[in-house]
Amino acid sequence: MELSFPSELGYEVVARDAVAAFARCVGIDKNRIEDIKTALSEACINAIEHGNQFDANLRVMVTCKHNGDHLTVEVRDQGMKEYTAGGKPLTIEEKLAGLGPLRGMGLMLITELSDGAEFVPVSQGNCFRLTFSVLQPAICHHS
Amino acid sequence: MLEDELTVSTRQREGVAIVDLMGDVTTFAEEKINQAYREVTTQGARQVLLNFRQNDSINSAGIAILIGIVTEVNRNQQKLAFSGLSQHFQKIFRMVGLAQYADIYQDEEEALKHLNSDPET
Repeated sequence: MELSFPSELGYEVVARDAVAAFARCVGIDKNRIEDIKTALSEACINAIEHGNQFDANLRVMVTCKHNGDHLTVEVRDQGMKEYTAGGKPLTIEEKLAGLGPLRGMGLMLITELSDGAEFVPVSQGNCFRLTFSVLQPAICHHS
Repeated sequence: MLEDELTVSTRQREGVAIVDLMGDVTTFAEEKINQAYREVTTQGARQVLLNFRQNDSINSAGIAILIGIVTEVNRNQQKLAFSGLSQHFQKIFRMVGLAQYADIYQDEEEALKHLNSDPET
């Protein structure tokens, strides 16, 4: 499955719901789908915000593949700015102590909720790949 | 920008200030949630319950807003609690550490029962 959307906040919800529908189709457990939805939303927001710098003329592309054992989701942006995971994210104690911004927990959530999360090299922009283990067999009867 | 339709309202019940959140809690929620918190605090709330709706979503920007509320609650020596979260977001709140600063209850009834029996409040 492939989809593309403009770099505007709010569209990550469209991607999230589409991928969730796909995940249901291939028989992924509903609790795991919640993990996928949260992780994917965060990856899309990063692409919109950091990769494409909120430029609505640039697109975010999401591809979703199921190979029987895993669901792989790639989120690509067209940004000229390379972004990577920064240092270790601040803990809530550090945030409450005013040692850094309150935001910045997206990558931590992605890492915790997925089985694999990494940037993969592409010719332009950034590509962030998420993998999720799939325990159930495919049960979708839609073509 | 596709803004969501979060509705935030406040009410009092059994001595607890309840902030009802209906809709996804994202970056768009910041002003509405902070305004509701300021409103109940101005009215003298000592216990604040953020009451979520089971099917709604919360992203990292929403979590950042809630961490900001924790900061204010600590400063104002109030007690904060959450109710109505799905199992998934209860897990997320534990993951990011929010559960260390606010009790999580299944629903409003359970929250009120515990908040009203807490000798510290």
